Amino acid sequence: MQELQYFGEHLWPGRVGHFSIILSFVAALLAAFAYGRHSRNSDATTGWLKLGRWSFLLHSAATLVTIATLFYIMLSRYYEYQYAWAHVSDDLPFAYIFSAFWEDQPGSFLLWAFWHVVLGIILMRTAREWEGPVLVVMSLLQAFIMSMLLGLYLLPDSDAIKIGFNPFLLLRDTMDAPIFANADYLQLITGKGLNPLLQNYWNTIHPPTLFLGFASVSVPFAFTMAALAKREYKAWIKPVLPWALFSASILGIGILMGSAWAYEALSFGGYWAWDPVENMSLVPWIVLVAGIHTNLIAKSTGHSIRSTMVFYAIALLLVLFSTFLTRSGVLQDSSVHAFTELGLEWQLVLFILVFSGWFLWIYLRRYRDIPVKEEEEPTSSREFWMFIGSLVLFFSALLITFTTAIPVYNKLADGLGWLTGQDLTGWHRSMPVDPITHYNRYQFWIAVFIAVLSGGTIFLRYGRSLASGAVRALLTRMGLHVILAMVMTTLTWWWLDYAGWVYHVLVLASWFSVISNLDYLLFFLKGRLKQGASTLSHVGFGLMIIGIVASGLKKEHISYNRFAMEGLLSRDMIDRNVLLFKNSPLFIKGYEVTYLSDTLIGHTRTYAIDYIQRDEEGRVIDEFTVQPSILFDREFKKQAASNPSTKRYFTKDVFSHIAGLPNEQADVERAKVKEDSLRYLLYSVLPDSVRSAGRLSISLQNWSDQAVHPDYTPEKGDQVIAARLQIRSEDLDSTLTCMPMIVLRDNLVYSYPVKVDRVGAKVRLTDAVFSGFLMPDDSLYYRPVELGAGDSFDFGGYTITLDGFDKSPQHVQFESEEGDIAVAANLLIQTHSAAGYRETQSPIFLVRGNQPYNIKSYSPATGIHTRFVKLNPENGKVTIWVAQQPDFEGLTFEVADNYEREDYIVLETILFPLINLFWLGGLLLMLGLGLAAWNKRYRKNELS
Amino acid sequence: MKKIYIIAGVLILLGIGLLISAAGDMSTYSTFREAARIEAKVKVVGKLAKDREMYYNPTEDPNYFSFYVSDNEGEVRKVILRGAKPQDFELSEQIVVTGKMDGGDFLASELLMKCPSKYKDEEVFLQKES
Repeated sequence: MQELQYFGEHLWPGRVGHFSIILSFVAALLAAFAYGRHSRNSDATTGWLKLGRWSFLLHSAATLVTIATLFYIMLSRYYEYQYAWAHVSDDLPFAYIFSAFWEDQPGSFLLWAFWHVVLGIILMRTAREWEGPVLVVMSLLQAFIMSMLLGLYLLPDSDAIKIGFNPFLLLRDTMDAPIFANADYLQLITGKGLNPLLQNYWNTIHPPTLFLGFASVSVPFAFTMAALAKREYKAWIKPVLPWALFSASILGIGILMGSAWAYEALSFGGYWAWDPVENMSLVPWIVLVAGIHTNLIAKSTGHSIRSTMVFYAIALLLVLFSTFLTRSGVLQDSSVHAFTELGLEWQLVLFILVFSGWFLWIYLRRYRDIPVKEEEEPTSSREFWMFIGSLVLFFSALLITFTTAIPVYNKLADGLGWLTGQDLTGWHRSMPVDPITHYNRYQFWIAVFIAVLSGGTIFLRYGRSLASGAVRALLTRMGLHVILAMVMTTLTWWWLDYAGWVYHVLVLASWFSVISNLDYLLFFLKGRLKQGASTLSHVGFGLMIIGIVASGLKKEHISYNRFAMEGLLSRDMIDRNVLLFKNSPLFIKGYEVTYLSDTLIGHTRTYAIDYIQRDEEGRVIDEFTVQPSILFDREFKKQAASNPSTKRYFTKDVFSHIAGLPNEQADVERAKVKEDSLRYLLYSVLPDSVRSAGRLSISLQNWSDQAVHPDYTPEKGDQVIAARLQIRSEDLDSTLTCMPMIVLRDNLVYSYPVKVDRVGAKVRLTDAVFSGFLMPDDSLYYRPVELGAGDSFDFGGYTITLDGFDKSPQHVQFESEEGDIAVAANLLIQTHSAAGYRETQSPIFLVRGNQPYNIKSYSPATGIHTRFVKLNPENGKVTIWVAQQPDFEGLTFEVADNYEREDYIVLETILFPLINLFWLGGLLLMLGLGLAAWNKRYRKNELS
Repeated sequence: MKKIYIIAGVLILLGIGLLISAAGDMSTYSTFREAARIEAKVKVVGKLAKDREMYYNPTEDPNYFSFYVSDNEGEVRKVILRGAKPQDFELSEQIVVTGKMDGGDFLASELLMKCPSKYKDEEVFLQKES
């Protein structure tokens, strides 16, 4: 094939970007090697240390250049690059470029790498004797991550073995389309833009936080490996702790942000769905928290060093496993938000195998070396119960992972089947039919366990049993906590009215944890948060569990028509959605809802929905308006996203979302089909008469030559006719008014029909209304009349009165010129009945260049033509010509009465009681971790 | 023997018990034939039968959406979802429905759909354009 010379492509950023990826990868390997040599013999090899540092800095610089280049390509909208074309568009606001950046795998790998770089540099400056081995681990991790972007092929002329996916590929290299035969193809293409679901501020802040969390899990792992490599099993315990706490805090906040996003912006109807992707971000956090607890034990007593190492290692391996699950495509059958496949599976598997193998190899070799305290933990010591708690946490993570990994077992079965030549697809298993019940069932008792342990253990001491006197005092105190917790549980139960004794157990355990920890913080620590950060986290955990029980168990769809549903179905079969017609209030459970209005701004249509709550006497006790919205795609062809809107109270949330629109509004093609199916019939109506059009009765109120339709943009020279019609129908107790409009512009007719949803009809004017304007004067018989101001005469059933003059008349066919003398006669035309039809015509008399002209006036409603032909100065009167159009039958219009109304929405409303406890508890939990990290942070004077 | 080992051992046994019981929750992807036989809640994987009618008329019932699915054995059944029609439903390639048979129809309480990657349809679009 002949090489084409393309126009307008910018090739240098791609070269810079790809080069910096390779440089970053190589420099990371070099840093790992140099740091490794240095770590083997740290005294004699400052040269290796220097090389290690410079390599890591070079790696950092190259990574930053890669990120900057990719960002530059997206910001400049260089659509010749596949990544820019696939993720941004001309109209994408700057704020969403970030979201677009990490929408796909390479960008999110870079985000991960970015945080590793930041953490690596901080470690380089603060880790001191740990710098060497810790940075070996960080550099190797980075080498693996950057290898995902290499985009190299191992075998020449074959793409069988590919390493990484280069984000700097040109669009024309990634797909084969005829458009690329055009050298100027860039003129023809435009970016696809960001998935509308991701155009949300949460997607700007959630991924960076989550990835900082993921990246920081590497640090405790790196310290573990460093301790094993250096055989220093005690010195690492203190410096690693703040890192682990920091990581758990940030990762936790990242997860919470994810659930806030799901709850607030996506229409999942909840904050946690036990989706595999969610699970796999939670699991490393749980194991990390287990590790933090054993780390604390190790710090105070010297026990549990091995478990701490194992937990920190597993936390990182779970991060890698999570990376594999979300990025390899194995989850596509079971998760709603996995990435699309990029063919990196084997590389991701290798990533996990290398790091787990490396850890196991070094851990098992050192196993006997790791100090274990001979004497047993006393049963009533703090470390004993903390260790049990850590084990329980670990089991929680294990159980979640066990189920989440089902798709992996299927892949393994496929692999085994391939090896043995058998068909093992029969071994395939699917996720539990009801995942929420499945996970909740097991995590329920774990939560009870953890709550009780976190409440009771806090009063115990490290390294010793309680003195016999203290046991009594403690038991009394705890008895008091239990009693208080029972009171709170009763109150909670009274408030929420849930059934099932197991929930009492969980709520009781949670309140016990909250109360014990508060007691400890306030009375033992005298409110000193410096030592009491852990109590803050425990209180947060307890509150969070209560919030989960309340908002999960008592989550309730209130959007059902309570009159229609009464006594019909059991609770779980109650319909979730109601149909809501515009301006017709509907009673749902506890509220009267009304769909008030909708407004389109840009691509978003926002709906105003009013909720009214009344007491038994019908007095309004609460009223609020929510504004859920629907986002349409760029071509306005389809509905792209439905954004919920939530009314927040201190004790509950009312969550509303639009579950459905009329088919015609969600999809233009359906709208076209519907328009084509309408049967329009032609009618005409004279003033003061009623025309029956099928099941409708229509009368003419008046007409106007001024624009009234919202979709119409006026242009100069437009001739407009808008008719105000009144519609009655048998099944309607009021009269509806509609104003269809038609425009004549440059000999083309544009019709602006109106929908009359209430009666299921669509009304439009036809070009027949213009026929009178185009009628030649010689086919009309004009009658001359001489009139003074205020004079009237009868004409064809109408009374015509000269109502005065207008010295500066307006008319589409009249453009005033210098020296014109123009005057309009205002003729009031009305029927004989008292409150009958009336209209005004204003024919114009004009003297231009000493020549008299006149411009006629015409009404499509009465068929009357008027001309103002002469001024009679001798008697102060004027001469008017009047004609009635022959065979005039009235204003013509068309009605289709088989139009299905589309002024409705399908609404889903969910009540989440006490959901704020979940957010508050979650935040407290993470805040406590963060505070502890801050308190235990590295200080110069302490280390020396 | 340390007490903590005993407790840890008990916990591990308990954990294994839990894992075994959790494994019981796993289900297999079923077919309509199987679903009719066992009369319990199952997951059926299949494809949307695009040539058959898809029905959702909110003015009639906002909680009734029906469509036809051809399962992995090629059997085509009507599926009724008690709920609103999901967005982009027409685009879905593979569908997983959770529910049970009710007469000849499959009554679904949940639906998961897999849509084609957005790259593919854009490719088609590019080819059509030029």
